[in-house]
Amino acid sequence: MKFFRAAMAASLLAACTGQTASAATGNVLFNGTITATCTITINSNGTMTVSSNLQSLSSHNAGGSAGSAQVDTTGGVSLSVDPVTTTTVPASDTTATTWTPTFATSGAQTIAETGTATALTVPGTSTVAVNLAGTKSGTNRFSAGNYQATVTLRCE
Amino acid sequence: MLAAGLTVALSPVAATSQSMTPMRGEVRSFTDAFAVRVFPGNPYNQRIRVEVHVYDQDFQPVAARITPSAFLLAGQASRPVLVVVPFDGANERKVRICTESIPFPSEQTQIRAQICGKFFGHRRF
Repeated sequence: MKFFRAAMAASLLAACTGQTASAATGNVLFNGTITATCTITINSNGTMTVSSNLQSLSSHNAGGSAGSAQVDTTGGVSLSVDPVTTTTVPASDTTATTWTPTFATSGAQTIAETGTATALTVPGTSTVAVNLAGTKSGTNRFSAGNYQATVTLRCE
Repeated sequence: MLAAGLTVALSPVAATSQSMTPMRGEVRSFTDAFAVRVFPGNPYNQRIRVEVHVYDQDFQPVAARITPSAFLLAGQASRPVLVVVPFDGANERKVRICTESIPFPSEQTQIRAQICGKFFGHRRF
C-alpha cells in the first residue's frame, strides 16, 4: 500500500513537471470626470481718481488702480462683470453718473479689456484686473466727498 | 483738493475667495419642484460670509427655497446648501445657482465674487 501511494505521488509529480505556470491578466479601468470648476480670489480692491475736467472718476485715471482678482478654473466657464447697481455718492452729487465696469485677464488666458462675458477655455490660473469708470456728461461734474461702487465679478 | 476728496481710498482687504461645486447639473423630478445640493467652498484661511441666490436665465431672482441662504464659512471649509426650485407649472426649468461672497461691513470691498452654476430641471409625470 505504501509503495502504491508513493508510486501515485511520483506519477502526479511527473505529470506536473514541465508544465509552465499560467498567469491570468486583466485590465482594471479607471474613469474620471472633471466638471467645470471656478474659484475666485479677490486680491485687492480698486481705487478711482477724478480727471482734471471732473467728469471722469475712474481707476484708469492718474493715481487710480485696478482691482485684482485671481481665477482658478478647469476651463469651460465664462467670466463677466455685472452692471454697477450699488453705489455710494456724496449728498452734494445729485447728477447722473454712468458706471462702466471692465475686466482683463493675464496668465493662463489673456483677455483684452472688455465689458462683455468672455469664455475661459484654458485651464489654469488667470489674474483679473477689474476697472471701473464713472462718467458725467454735459455740465455735470463730480463733487467732493467719498464715492464707492461695487463691481460683481462672475464666473459661471 | 477736490481731486483728493474724490479719491476713493479703499482699505486693502485680506484675500477672500470662494468656489462652488458642482457648476453644472441636470435633474429629473417627479414632483412640482426639483432639488439641487451645492457645496460652496472657502479654500482660504479666514472665514467669509457667503450668500446663495437663484436666478433664471435672465438673472431675475427665482423664488427658490435655499437652506441656508446666508452663512459664515470657515477657512478651508465647505458646506452643503440645499436648493429647491419650483417648476411653476413648466415642464422644465433652467436656473443659475450663485454663490456670492458678501463684503465685510467694516471694509469697503469693491469687487464681489460670484460663482454661478447652471442647472436644468426636468419634470416627469
